[in-house]
Amino acid sequence: MINLRDVSYVRLGSPDLESAETFATSCLGLQVAERGKKALYLRSDERSHTLCYTEGDPADQSVGFEIEDEASLQQAATTLESLGHHVEAGSAEEAQKRKVRAFIGFRDPSGNHIELVVRPERNGRRYFATRDAGITGFSHIGLNSTDPARDERFWTQVCNARVSDRIGDIPLMRVSAIHHTIALVRATHAGIQHVNHQVQTSDDVLRSYYFLSERRVPIVFGPGRHPTSGARFLYFKGPDGMVFEYSVGVDEVADDASHQPRQFGFEPSSLCMWGSKPAGMELPTDR
Amino acid sequence: MSSTDHPLVTSVCYVRLAIAELQAGARFASDIFGLQRVAGPDDEMAFRSDHRFRTVSFSSDANNGSSTGVEVWSESALDRIEKLLRDHDFVVTRATPDVCRRRHVRAALLAEDGSGNKIDLVVRPSQSGRRYFPSRDAGITCLHSVGLRSTDLDRDLEFWKVLGVQVRDWVGDIAYLQIDGFHHRVALYPAKRNGLLYAAFEVETLDSIMQNSYFMQESQVRIVQGPGREPCSEQMFLHVEGPDGVIFSYVNGMTEPGPMRRPARQFPLAPESLCSWGSESKDVPELSAGSV
Repeated sequence: MINLRDVSYVRLGSPDLESAETFATSCLGLQVAERGKKALYLRSDERSHTLCYTEGDPADQSVGFEIEDEASLQQAATTLESLGHHVEAGSAEEAQKRKVRAFIGFRDPSGNHIELVVRPERNGRRYFATRDAGITGFSHIGLNSTDPARDERFWTQVCNARVSDRIGDIPLMRVSAIHHTIALVRATHAGIQHVNHQVQTSDDVLRSYYFLSERRVPIVFGPGRHPTSGARFLYFKGPDGMVFEYSVGVDEVADDASHQPRQFGFEPSSLCMWGSKPAGMELPTDR
Repeated sequence: MSSTDHPLVTSVCYVRLAIAELQAGARFASDIFGLQRVAGPDDEMAFRSDHRFRTVSFSSDANNGSSTGVEVWSESALDRIEKLLRDHDFVVTRATPDVCRRRHVRAALLAEDGSGNKIDLVVRPSQSGRRYFPSRDAGITCLHSVGLRSTDLDRDLEFWKVLGVQVRDWVGDIAYLQIDGFHHRVALYPAKRNGLLYAAFEVETLDSIMQNSYFMQESQVRIVQGPGREPCSEQMFLHVEGPDGVIFSYVNGMTEPGPMRRPARQFPLAPESLCSWGSESKDVPELSAGSV
């Protein structure tokens, strides 16, 4: 079994790094860690980076997950290859670009590009935001799935993810005590559906709602509250149509062994208990 | 707190409103805002919001139909208030038994502040043995506070000072008046006319505020301001337009700073002094901090 410890970073291709930086700093509130010629590294917490924009096609997207050590990395490669996944070992140069010791890349059954990484870098200096968004860190992703039941099996049987709750047949999966790190979203194609950052308080969610509205950033869902994780949330659109989420108050699963995933109906109130309706973002569809 | 250092009044206990369209007002109060409609006299629509017998009533009596009920500690405190207000040249009238019956109180002084806002100072307002059971799950737990329009702030402050009530904080000349442990129960807003600006009802949680916000949008009821958070009291709010432009508010989370141990703080008259999240009121001058 591949033991995912946490989600480490997201890499997004973008044709316009300058616009991406403007959005990331003046709207989203991340800190620029490093500007390369063809890459922009952004921080959201104690890690050296959690989001990297690379010059290129917005369809080029990767999600990095941390695993324990290089031995585990080897085992993971063997496991994935035995299941028919094409696995690419990262070169030293590529690893350096990701600020990790070593990594492998592969595609999940839906075709999402996943990287398993060892020893992602931390930074000794604390994260210092460019705007007062209250961000405490990069926390989870929404991941497109062309077949949620199949992909749930991949993440829970080949990897160590556990289902915390389901909305219809869409699983919200955790790799730690945090309610979910991977939220599958039914879609016709692979892709990252949203990138989540946690904020300090629900005040931050509401403040950002007014702040981003004033700057005409498209708010696509919320302010709202997920009945599944309990999180107060706000979804909004960034460069190249990528959806970002702020949320706070995500439940933790106290006892892994005894936790029974709850089933929520596939209806709007399962996505927001306050009554907000998604507008202009791709949403989970049941079938 | 000893019996001598607290105000002579304890809380806001009801609002009476004269409105033009009684039926429409009643529909707003029960179906939209989520109060519990209860039986009243024929010429009055009455509602509960908590354990009290009545907290809101509507009538079409434009002369005497609007007032704010403020509970007084005791009949002896009421006697004292009567003397003090007369000494300070405020108009006060002892309520007749019939007037008291209609207000569901034991005794009352009908007073006017400097702006002409009618304040009923009442003793022993009725409670109800039946629990509050509203028509809609708006999460209301009680009538919390009121905002009053003030055309003569100095004189209004004198009125409340006579009752032993102090200013807790200022936003420009908006005065937040502390009555009990909460930051304020009455707020005075400088205005061109007198009257009730808002009646604020406490709800259970932020969830209730937000659920009501989406409910109002879906019901096409105008939100005057919010969801927001008042910086000086830390209270979250949603101001909704009610009958005849009177605002009905859902509120939650006001601080309970206890007795005054510092001077009233001054905040500038600016939108961010009225909402720390960034909500603004576009067309109610009293809530617009000079931006209208």
